Amino acid sequence: MRRGERAGRTALPLLFMSVLRGEGLSKRFGGVEALNGVDIEIRSGSVHALVGANGAGKSTLVKILTGYYDSYEGQVTIDGQPIQLRRPTDAFRSGIEVVHQEVDIQLVPNLTVAENLYLEALATGDSGTVLSLRKLEREAKTYLESIGFSLSVRVKVQDLSLHEKQLLVIARALLHNVRFLILDEPTASLSFLESQKLFQLVRSLKQKGVAILYITQRLDDLPNVVDEVTVLRSGKKAAYFNRLPELTKIVEAMLDMPEIDLFPKDRRVSLGETVMKVENLSWRNKVRGLSFEARRGEILVLTGLTGAGKTETLKLLFGALQPDKGRIFIDGKVVEIKNPTLAIRHGVYMVPEERRKEALILDKTARENITMPFMKNFCGPFQKVDRSLETKYAVETAKRVALVPLDVEKQAQYFSGGNQQKIVLGRWLAGNPKVLLLDEPTQGVDVGAKKEIYHLIASVTNKCAVILATSDINEAIGIGDRILVMRDGKIVAEFAKENADPKEILSYATGVKA
Amino acid sequence: MKSGVRDQVSNFLLKYGVITTLVILIVFFSLTTRAFFTLDNFFDILRAVSILTIVSIGVTFSVVVGGIDASVGSVAGLAVMLSTALMVIWQVPWYWAIIACLMAGTMVGLLNSFLILKLRIPDLLATVGTLYLVQGLQMWISKGDAVYRGMTNPWDPIRSVTKGFIPRQFLVLGQGFVFRTPQFRGIPVPVLIMLAVVFTTWFFLEFTRFGRAFYAIGGNMEAARLAGIPVKRYRTVAYIISSLFATLGGIVLASRIGSGAVKAGDPYLLDAVASTYFGFAVLGMRRPNPWGTFLGAVFVGVMLNGLTMLNVPWYIQDVIKGLVLVSALGISFAIKKEIR
Repeated sequence: MRRGERAGRTALPLLFMSVLRGEGLSKRFGGVEALNGVDIEIRSGSVHALVGANGAGKSTLVKILTGYYDSYEGQVTIDGQPIQLRRPTDAFRSGIEVVHQEVDIQLVPNLTVAENLYLEALATGDSGTVLSLRKLEREAKTYLESIGFSLSVRVKVQDLSLHEKQLLVIARALLHNVRFLILDEPTASLSFLESQKLFQLVRSLKQKGVAILYITQRLDDLPNVVDEVTVLRSGKKAAYFNRLPELTKIVEAMLDMPEIDLFPKDRRVSLGETVMKVENLSWRNKVRGLSFEARRGEILVLTGLTGAGKTETLKLLFGALQPDKGRIFIDGKVVEIKNPTLAIRHGVYMVPEERRKEALILDKTARENITMPFMKNFCGPFQKVDRSLETKYAVETAKRVALVPLDVEKQAQYFSGGNQQKIVLGRWLAGNPKVLLLDEPTQGVDVGAKKEIYHLIASVTNKCAVILATSDINEAIGIGDRILVMRDGKIVAEFAKENADPKEILSYATGVKA
Repeated sequence: MKSGVRDQVSNFLLKYGVITTLVILIVFFSLTTRAFFTLDNFFDILRAVSILTIVSIGVTFSVVVGGIDASVGSVAGLAVMLSTALMVIWQVPWYWAIIACLMAGTMVGLLNSFLILKLRIPDLLATVGTLYLVQGLQMWISKGDAVYRGMTNPWDPIRSVTKGFIPRQFLVLGQGFVFRTPQFRGIPVPVLIMLAVVFTTWFFLEFTRFGRAFYAIGGNMEAARLAGIPVKRYRTVAYIISSLFATLGGIVLASRIGSGAVKAGDPYLLDAVASTYFGFAVLGMRRPNPWGTFLGAVFVGVMLNGLTMLNVPWYIQDVIKGLVLVSALGISFAIKKEIR
């Protein structure tokens, strides 16, 4: 197929119906069932929403449909014909394309809009070996005008806004004659106005006969675009609605049964003094005027969807980011936390979200990872590390956090996710925490280790305040004494543990309630 | 069981590959050349690699923090020209000349870290920029002339003959011997300086908390930062140390040749980088380390010394050096992959 043909054909409305049907789709990683027998149907002229909490299996499903995995269980058919999706090109040839949440991975930043538009043709050599940039730009311009997109073709992609990048990827999909378009959390980082524009575009794509799978956690998007809804929960299909139901029904379907015995029950909360207070904290458009305080002895939870600003808030408190506005008080005094080193000196410690990237040095031993922040404690004259003292401390810590295997000389990369997290938690025990910041502390951790981690967290609260960020609502209610719900960088609701209701929290987090 | 044997072989290759090759080389050269296996030649080889080792240790520091310092060659050259010019043209006492060089080295290190940390230029690009800058400065000092006793003063309009000279105290650094006995020529001073540098660095990097922090930064910069290690400060220090060792190497070099030759430091850059990477393979540490770097430099030295004694033409020696480096790294990293 040549470029010209494609562009010409896309301009016409599709005259046939296409149906993509997935039946019994399953995918397991090790022992974990990420997706378990899910059926889904996407058809021309319909927008099918796929919703679910973090870890419900949404992205696994998307990855199957886009040929990311070379193996999965279940069957995918298009118009009744079974197809194989083992490679990205399989999906591409079947007319399935995706606009990723992180749309940047689909574009080449230092090439122009025109070049990115014809990237596939450039890569396969369909465009011929010698390029006429001007011709390419002219064609791109004509094409974009024909589908009614206003993007200037000579701009480099790195200078586009997120919304414009999404437009470009959608335009490119249309150029490829896309039949099934998957939009992955498209409004997660868009402004209100941009979201409205996107909804309009989605509606017009629908009219053109494109089948759309619309993935989102933001339920307030749904009334704008959606015809049918599938709810995933823990890798299974929890509900299907053939038209948009009451949003509260969706919220109910999203909620998991809490595993109650995971959380420490006998913890007695004795609230101490306020150790950290935050006033009007702001950073870019991710954190907008946050104010709250945390007291010694309590576990304060920040919950909300991914992208609500939880991680950024913790990083601001830890000095890993610098606030644009706002003040932070520790023990009633204003402090400027310029960097993590200073934060640690103030007694503010953080367990970051991505432990392999941000917390651990993977090719160093558990011992070295445990003792890293407080090496001074283990040093003699000339700052020589006292290995026996260090090892003794590392072993004690490993025992305290119940590290498995109990081998501090093993490299961090060879421990399981849960035990890696115990190493990171254990690291901070050597210090004297005032405020312990935990970002998604049980992400990618098995149930057994989860329970241990919750008990560890509960055990440090007699010394300090814990601020824990999580998008898992059961975790928020299970471990938190007080729960702040964040949405778009703002606190939209606060609950005490006694009257925290998962449905309420999720309604606030997803924007069903404002 | 079969795979067990294979694993053991590859483990052995990984750990002792370079050392084994080194021993084989020594035995080979001893058998084929008469002068090779003598104490004097042993120290000759060490002396020949001493300057290279000192410069390489500097590069090792920059590689430990996950960067690379490509300016070391011209920094060494700067020290050669600056020290000799100060003594010969301006008749500055030798110790002030040395101090001036160390200060100049520190400045270059600061400049590198400013470019890399403040302006966020990638390490290699920034230090290549400094390489040219410093190379230009080094030639400017004497207006491109070589510096030697009795030269005409390039800065004097009437080009009078300079009165300064390089004193004995300075020449000892590169040419002296200690522990001389009637039967024994003595240990060359540069060898002692080199060993001191390697020992201190080894202690510093392996046994102190600072060394731990340096390696942590090289292992995972973001994790190190979020564990409270002041990453920027450490990286700045690493680049300063790198420049300082290059300067020290340059001073010893100036003393060794006893005059100021323009661009004398240049060839050290590539050899220093090569020694540092050789060091990865030594003992299978797979990370930059001072003893590895030292052995890497010795390896290069032994090879060149032996090849010269075998009358291998100089223009072929580089080809052999390249082949050996490529295969050492190839073995080390190929095995690494397999183990993973």
